[in-house]
Amino acid sequence: MTRLILHRLFYGLLTLFVVSLVVFLATQALPGDAAQAMLGREATPERLAALREQLHLNEPLAVQYGSWIAGIFTFDLGTSYAANMPVVEHLAPRVTASLSLMAIAALVATPIALLLGAYSAMRRDRAMDHGTSMVTLILAAIPEFAVGILLILAFATGALQLFPAVYAGRADNVLNDPSQLVLPVATLVIAVSPPIIRMMRASMIEVLESEYVQQARLKGLPERTVILRHAGPNAIGPVAQVIALQLGWLAGGVVAIEYLFRFPGIGLALMDAIDTRDIPVIQAVALLIAVVYIVVNLLADVVGLAANPKVRVSSR
Amino acid sequence: MPSQPLPDHRAQQTPAQRSDDPRTAAAPSRRTVLMAGAAGAAVLPALSACGGGDASGGTEGGRLRVGVAGGSAKDTLDAHKATDNTDIARVYNLYDGLCGFNPDYSIEMVLAESVEPNDDATLWTVKLKKGLKFHDGSAVTADAVIFTLKRITDPDDPGSTAEQFATLDRDGMKKVDDLTVELPFTAPYVNLLEVFAEYGVGIVPEGYDPKKPVGAGPFKFTEFTPGERSLFTKHEEYWREGEPHIDELEILNFPDETARVNALVGGQVDAISQLPHSQIEVVKADGNLEILDSETGMWLPFTMRVDKKPFDDERVRQAFRLIVDREQMVKQALSGYGSVGNDMYSRFDPAYNDDLPQREQDISKAKKLLADAGYEDGLEVELVTGEISPGAVGAAQVFKEQAKKAGVTVNLKQLTSTEFYGDNYLKWTFAQDYWSSRNYLAQAAQGSMPDAAYNETHWDDEEWIELINKARSTVDDDERNKILKKAMKIEYERGGYIVWGFVNTVDGFHKKVKGLKASVTGHPLTSYGFRRVRIEE
Repeated sequence: MTRLILHRLFYGLLTLFVVSLVVFLATQALPGDAAQAMLGREATPERLAALREQLHLNEPLAVQYGSWIAGIFTFDLGTSYAANMPVVEHLAPRVTASLSLMAIAALVATPIALLLGAYSAMRRDRAMDHGTSMVTLILAAIPEFAVGILLILAFATGALQLFPAVYAGRADNVLNDPSQLVLPVATLVIAVSPPIIRMMRASMIEVLESEYVQQARLKGLPERTVILRHAGPNAIGPVAQVIALQLGWLAGGVVAIEYLFRFPGIGLALMDAIDTRDIPVIQAVALLIAVVYIVVNLLADVVGLAANPKVRVSSR
Repeated sequence: MPSQPLPDHRAQQTPAQRSDDPRTAAAPSRRTVLMAGAAGAAVLPALSACGGGDASGGTEGGRLRVGVAGGSAKDTLDAHKATDNTDIARVYNLYDGLCGFNPDYSIEMVLAESVEPNDDATLWTVKLKKGLKFHDGSAVTADAVIFTLKRITDPDDPGSTAEQFATLDRDGMKKVDDLTVELPFTAPYVNLLEVFAEYGVGIVPEGYDPKKPVGAGPFKFTEFTPGERSLFTKHEEYWREGEPHIDELEILNFPDETARVNALVGGQVDAISQLPHSQIEVVKADGNLEILDSETGMWLPFTMRVDKKPFDDERVRQAFRLIVDREQMVKQALSGYGSVGNDMYSRFDPAYNDDLPQREQDISKAKKLLADAGYEDGLEVELVTGEISPGAVGAAQVFKEQAKKAGVTVNLKQLTSTEFYGDNYLKWTFAQDYWSSRNYLAQAAQGSMPDAAYNETHWDDEEWIELINKARSTVDDDERNKILKKAMKIEYERGGYIVWGFVNTVDGFHKKVKGLKASVTGHPLTSYGFRRVRIEE
């Protein structure tokens, strides 16, 4: 199993390398170079030349890429053009803020989704099952920002003014006023849950029909034990992959949500950086999202393996 | 923006937004499900009214929370380098200048008691008011004025208004006594007061450090995070009697207009700048909110290059000006929140020429002019447009339709703001731009003189230039205004701008916020004049 994990790790790193290349080239392809974008109306030829020199924009692409990659290994992601401070320092509070938001969303979404899925499976073909099925299908089809807008209309700016519509605090203490997190978290939860619920339901149904569950029941075990000890753990294995995919999606999906709720995380930092052509920040955030995605998937693989004795044994 | 030639283009780019009314949306009671995520979460943030201690009416004290459009990691509190809307909002509240613009664009003395020129306006004498205090308690003195002007004109690190002090003899500035300074200029400078009234000329003490900013404005620095927010507190020794009324001022950045409006409607901020047109009705319909609709001198011209075919022929330029149905353009491109223009800028300049008849759409005359110019079979032009300011693309589309009637085919070339202000900016043959409120001489120096930084129409009219140069050295106001009226007539008759309208600024605020009033400066929320504001609970 260790070999398998190392194998996956290798491919993860390879993916990251490709992502870094794509991110780098994509930021180079933005219309107008960084110097142009930064100076805007003030761009005189002299100032452009000076700024290009200062930003090393005259060097060959390969050299620029090389020094960027080299920087990553020393945790030096360059200097933000706009904030005029190291990217790491600029992003640190925002990364923490985003991770907090994502972690809360994940901690809320995962158990709820698993329980709902399992419960639907146990109530198969009853009203509750059909209801859940339909609602998740509809929610899965609505883009996350639309969900966010609907939630704001319903609970913040409409008749019911229960929760704040936007985040109006600081990046370095987002947990200070939890009421401001309710709507963004709810949006993320609604966005990530449906596939988990549906997968858990399908997986649970399969397990409940399996021979060992029948066997357990025949042995006279209480239904509680059957579900919790035998069916549940086996049903979760296949769902882990979906959970991971959804949590990986969180890292990217948080961008639109943060913009909508004015939440000071990486998403807002990314939008800001795109506006100001702050290329080091764009690169860092894009890479960070990729890293989260890859790491989460790797973890899912490991969980999937650990939960499946067949794979665990055969891959040894 | 009266002074800033480099307004924030980015803040003006407005993503598509919803236009539905929140009140019409159903509010299902799914709250229990959603609440599961944040059990025990507090409901609605309390208005953080700190200090004050006035138990009776709460008309003094409290914290005003303002959402301002724009902002980014580039934000700065530097008194002399503000570029973005949020920077401008902050600078207005941290610093006071020698002079300032009143809401009607007249000039008032702020820190200065008087600013007087000599006979030919080459030597100006500034006298400061007595007893003025900076935030750190030190006195506002002649040394601070000299330090400030030197800092702005530092050749190695110039401030945003440096160019307007190009003729200042910075080594010749002389302290006469503690409160008096003499400022020599190498050429007559008749409109110096306008420059002193700009927000980028705030007086700062010697040894000023923008990281720990000290000024003499109504509020002093407490907290600041670029790209996010700032918190300022009342300057107890502010020179205006009884102001500011509030104890704390929190300014929050809102790059996204939907979030900005939501924050106002949801009660998380007490006022917001720049309400998008599509949201005005939403705010009007809310019993707790009001809008502040201010006419301004901001204009969104079409720019015709007078040195390029077909616009090198003044008949074509006149024909294009006659094509425009200005009422319709204001109605459609600005949703009616604007007023009609007469192909002249600087509408609030005392010299503004009201004698010239309002130009109206006249298709037959336009056709005749085009035919005389050799385009009897029609004309095809490319109009470069982009989301450089709300309403710009709309105006271009309206123009395209209106031009059809005169046999002119307009092909729109829509660019992003970055491309628009890229390498080809100032080179487009037929394009658009936007400009803030400015008086005529100041605007001419920015946009119409041959040596202007942004002469986008390549205007180079000898007779006109002579008049401007003459006006620049005419100290007598009446005499100068007569000359300027003549110059305006020339631009009205053969200039390269189509000034079809002026844009209103529309802000939103909660009813409990008192003291804001319409201002023509083009800066939202009474030029971010929060010193005037009271919060009445």
